[in-house]
Amino acid sequence: MTFAERMLRIDRRIIFLVIGLCTLLPLLYPVGLPIKISPEVRGVYDYIEKLPEGSVFLLSLDFDPASKPELHPQAIALLRHAFRKNLRVIAMTLWVSGTGMADQLVTQVAKETGKEKGTDYVFLGWSPGGSAIIINMGQDLYTSFPSDYNGKPTKGQPVLDGVQSLKDVNYAISLAAGNPGVEAWYVFGKDKYKFELGGGCTGVIAPGLYPLLRSGQINGLIGGLRGAAEYESLVGQKGRAVAGMDAQSATHVAIVVLVVLCNIFYFSMRQQGRQQGQIR
Amino acid sequence: MDASMLGAWVATGLTLFILSFLYKDNPLFKLAEHLYVGVSVGYTIVKAYDTVLVHLILKPIFEQGEIALLIPVAIGSLMLTRYAPRASWLSRYAFAFIVGVGSGLAIPRVISSYILKQIEDTVRPLMMLVPGEGLTFTWNLLNPASSLNTIIILLGVSSVLFYFFFSVEHTGPGKAVARTGILFLMIAFGAAFGYTVMARMSLLIGRLTDLIEFADPSYGRPTVWLLLLTVGTLIYLNGRTQGTPPDAH
Repeated sequence: MTFAERMLRIDRRIIFLVIGLCTLLPLLYPVGLPIKISPEVRGVYDYIEKLPEGSVFLLSLDFDPASKPELHPQAIALLRHAFRKNLRVIAMTLWVSGTGMADQLVTQVAKETGKEKGTDYVFLGWSPGGSAIIINMGQDLYTSFPSDYNGKPTKGQPVLDGVQSLKDVNYAISLAAGNPGVEAWYVFGKDKYKFELGGGCTGVIAPGLYPLLRSGQINGLIGGLRGAAEYESLVGQKGRAVAGMDAQSATHVAIVVLVVLCNIFYFSMRQQGRQQGQIR
Repeated sequence: MDASMLGAWVATGLTLFILSFLYKDNPLFKLAEHLYVGVSVGYTIVKAYDTVLVHLILKPIFEQGEIALLIPVAIGSLMLTRYAPRASWLSRYAFAFIVGVGSGLAIPRVISSYILKQIEDTVRPLMMLVPGEGLTFTWNLLNPASSLNTIIILLGVSSVLFYFFFSVEHTGPGKAVARTGILFLMIAFGAAFGYTVMARMSLLIGRLTDLIEFADPSYGRPTVWLLLLTVGTLIYLNGRTQGTPPDAH
């Protein structure tokens, strides 16, 4: 058996170990690689930055704990930015399995920034209907969410003063791990009720959202942990995403090296086979 | 033991049990997997019951007298007739209602958002009229709206569409166009795969970050103890499997 053959038949657990070490070591000993801000992340940041104080900002946390490592840091950075700008924050989720996590997240950032529930922000929770709930909110927010997550009637809460429907929202962002998410918010929300929309998403669905970004259907996109790290840098409060960037870069280098090596071994085996007349 | 410490021990244990699958399938992985499925289904059922049945149906009807809600409740209840074979035909009315309303809401919106808007973006003018400069052609690849990118997008869309047009044999010039389409598709798949790798690595980073955090003495070092437990169990199970004759399986 040649070296190339031995390498291509290597125990896959060795590869898992290499990837594991490439992730673990930079987390234990960070080097602080520079983070370049992409125009799509800056698009979201700049829009929030330009919003006047007291503007209505809707954050839809459309993910569950399975996507927490990517979208939780995005949500924290966005909420910190919104609260710092004294925006009125309406948080909600279209994913029933993410309700508890979303409530904990919003409450944690609000506490950290000294914001009051009902006055500065409200967490509406989850309501059934998926995409249909967006249409319903576009007609009347109070029929979709008669009460907030804690059962308090939404009507009369100071944070919702002058807000009757989605038409009164100045900026909405959906942090999505799938459907319903950014696309649903565009199709059933922005396209119909004409408010500005931005997006945040997991890396898996990011390529599918770039056509919406290019055509201006969304004004910015925060993609994956990388996007979260960029937003944390913009907000100036580095957190878990920035801490994970060294590990991300190291694992990417490891994967690229493994792909290149596998190809070299594969082609060298093919060459040997040709020479021996096994492959024509 | 307070809630955060208990949470740290549970999270650490389940993470390590799931990661133990990378070595090989084992009972610890099975335990964590079944717990995940059970807890997520249970959580969804409880939240749906509380939000839908209690807060959106029972309370408004009995406390606020919103009798009109009985209409959607009645239509929704027809779904349950699926369980009674003699009355199951009634469920078709509920399905018809959902399909009708769903299609009516979705079709115009989807056509507007995905087809019309995307076509509009694909066929942008090649030259731009810049005040003072007249008609200009921009070469900047990094600017998504540049003239060069407009040509690339036009080429990509046309060639990929041609690749999926099977009524004409892909020979001669057609073969070149179809090959160009494949090239664009490969680039798209590569970008999607790259993002997927990034996402999966992010998940690993998330779990490892938690494991590092929970190795802290303030939590009672669950990472250290549970890692020892997991490794010990794997060694024990491995030894037991090796001692079992092949016929026993």
